[in-house]
Amino acid sequence: MNIEISIRRYDPDTDPEPRWDDYAVPSGDRTTVLEALTYIYEELDPTLAFGSGCRFGSCGLCAVEVNGQPRMACSAGIRNGMKIAPLAGMPVLRDLVIDRVAFFEGLRKLRIFIGEQSESGEPQIVRVPKLHARLAACVECLACNSTCPAYDFDKDPLAGPYLLVKLAQLQLDPRNTIDRRKQAQDLGMSDCTDCRSCYCIRGLDIRRDVLGVLMGDGS
Amino acid sequence: MTHVTRSDVLVIGSGGAGVMAAVEAANAGASVTIISKEPLGYGDTRISLGVMSTSPDTSSGDSEEQFAEDMIRGGEGLNDPKLVRTLVNEALEATATFEAFGHIFDRDHDGRLKRGLVPPGGHRASRTIGSPGAGVSMGHTMRSAAARADLDVLEQTVCSELLVQDGEVVGATALRMPSGEPLALLAKSTVIAAGGAGSLYYPHTDCMPSVTGDSYGLALGAGAELVDMEQVQYLPFGITHPPALLGAPCGEPVVAGPFGRLLNNKGEAVLENIMPMTRAQVARAIVEEIGRGGATEHGGLLLDLRPNLESPQGEFFVKALRKAGAPILSVVRRAYGRKAADLEEPWDVLPTAHYNMGGIKTDEWCRSSVPTLYACGQAQGGVMGGNRLGSTSLTEIFVFGKRAGRTAAREASGRQHADQKLAREPLEKLRALCGSPGTHRPIHLKRALQRLMWERVGPLREATGLEAALAEIEAIEEQARDLQISEIRRCNTEVADAVELPHMLATARAIAVSALARTESRGAHVRSDFPERDDAGPVSNMIVRMRDGECKLRRAVTSE
Repeated sequence: MNIEISIRRYDPDTDPEPRWDDYAVPSGDRTTVLEALTYIYEELDPTLAFGSGCRFGSCGLCAVEVNGQPRMACSAGIRNGMKIAPLAGMPVLRDLVIDRVAFFEGLRKLRIFIGEQSESGEPQIVRVPKLHARLAACVECLACNSTCPAYDFDKDPLAGPYLLVKLAQLQLDPRNTIDRRKQAQDLGMSDCTDCRSCYCIRGLDIRRDVLGVLMGDGS
Repeated sequence: MTHVTRSDVLVIGSGGAGVMAAVEAANAGASVTIISKEPLGYGDTRISLGVMSTSPDTSSGDSEEQFAEDMIRGGEGLNDPKLVRTLVNEALEATATFEAFGHIFDRDHDGRLKRGLVPPGGHRASRTIGSPGAGVSMGHTMRSAAARADLDVLEQTVCSELLVQDGEVVGATALRMPSGEPLALLAKSTVIAAGGAGSLYYPHTDCMPSVTGDSYGLALGAGAELVDMEQVQYLPFGITHPPALLGAPCGEPVVAGPFGRLLNNKGEAVLENIMPMTRAQVARAIVEEIGRGGATEHGGLLLDLRPNLESPQGEFFVKALRKAGAPILSVVRRAYGRKAADLEEPWDVLPTAHYNMGGIKTDEWCRSSVPTLYACGQAQGGVMGGNRLGSTSLTEIFVFGKRAGRTAAREASGRQHADQKLAREPLEKLRALCGSPGTHRPIHLKRALQRLMWERVGPLREATGLEAALAEIEAIEEQARDLQISEIRRCNTEVADAVELPHMLATARAIAVSALARTESRGAHVRSDFPERDDAGPVSNMIVRMRDGECKLRRAVTSE
């Protein structure tokens, strides 16, 4: 059975505005958005650009907006009339591909790492709360930034929930020596209006698990 | 004008091996450029379960000798013992180094490393340590470590070929995907750390699509030797349906538990006592039964875990699986439903391409057969022999990543950069791809090659199929000279496909030639026309290199 979906297309080099293109794609047993995108690229339109990776929900590279909601293309099922767009608020390289380079640069800028450890060749004794593991499982799909109404990539690509997850993780790490709560404040965390729009595809409760760690005074 | 970079060390690939090599080289004082097809750190390491072998726990009677023996027994004698000993001896140091990057493996209540309870198939004792955030947490660590070090990082950059001058590698050419701009990367030492070739078997693979045999294609193009390329690991348990989940990993032998069994389409048990077996042994049993007509309507066999629910010993295992195997159970739930994820219904399973044991032949300091070219991680061959034991690849990437980075940095001093003119022709080739007016779309050739590899050079092989595969590979190579590519500069996936295709073809040829030459079944290489292992003569490694456009093979008796 064929169904119709619309995809937002945009090439900043040649297009004044994004546009919507419609495609008829086959739909079978639990067909996903990623399968539909792959089909379009292979059989209908060689110019379609989209991100994809592991196919099984582990890498976060295929996140797109499906009918206005962030979803992993590899797990979202397709429906007739579906509209697929890049994650809102993210810089588009082309079509559904977003530019992630700023996020690597952000790791440097905000020193998102522990300091050099003196290496004895033996692992250290380290104790972290259970929450650390939940934060460490973030697949970096950027859905949280894309759904935060206060997030503005052009103003500061780092001032959003995604970087706060990393700061909270470091705050819980006994080897961390930088005041991550102050960094969170400097990024504008106190502007958070508690609207709870920030959405985590992996089900992390950003308000409780991330802001909760970063809100304290450090004592 | 072409962009040119000059560094002491060029690292190609940014999974665990590449990042470790780059950071070590930078720490040794070298200027380092690291290129990555995806964002940095987004390789197979990042989608793994994050379970790594560390040093043996001597307090429980395990030893380094026993660990090395397990690897060589599992690898059916094809491993290079020097490389195995290096991995085992340096496993603890590599663990500590990766934790000093920021990672935290599983801990006990006192904050000490906590080894897993149940060893993966083929290990006689547990040496595994898990990552509480699975592989993706290792990805975070790798990105942070790369950010902390002084590296020139080029993300979304795909390497087309190595530059060779007087038999030495002097850098590479690459394409920046976001802009479509070609690059010359001149270097005094070049480290290949671009992973394996799981994508050659798409969709029958659980690897990242970026893993297209670039490591092997680049090395072959520069004249380097590869060893035992026929040894491709198929994880025995992969999902068969729905199509979106075909190839998804649902376990290695340990997942069968003490009482799990494999059933065919008549409900007959075709394999029991699976847990201590190697991945190669279990994958073989599955494909042989399928060859006898035992497959289900979805093309797999049924992994029946129910007997584990019925005994106290099994109960212990079920608990461990729920804890350590959560990502596996979540894939099973999506494919086969809640009852299957609760082990109350059997899973339809088919082997899925997971890892290449074969690879670039190196010494224990990661030097390839070509001066100035180094390899580490899955790119490298000889460590795992004919079968890799579960959890050892994450050890391999760090142990050999460290060594490759250090050696490449040390040996770079005293070398000169080559003239950038050398890059002129490969750069012209790259420029010509965009808008190429020919006949064949690169993605269609890729898909044809992938189907061919699964059908004829997959988990079950025989001479006529391999010969037909070699002829077909040659036909695709011919078609690849006449490509049709759209004219877009930015993020043109077709251009990326066209850059990957020659690497895939070269790797496919190396695998098929080695598989045809190994007239026995050993490790992950199973020949239906030579079902027995040849234990009469000495054990040999299959070594290939490209010469005058031909894939030349020689046999070398294994050392020890």
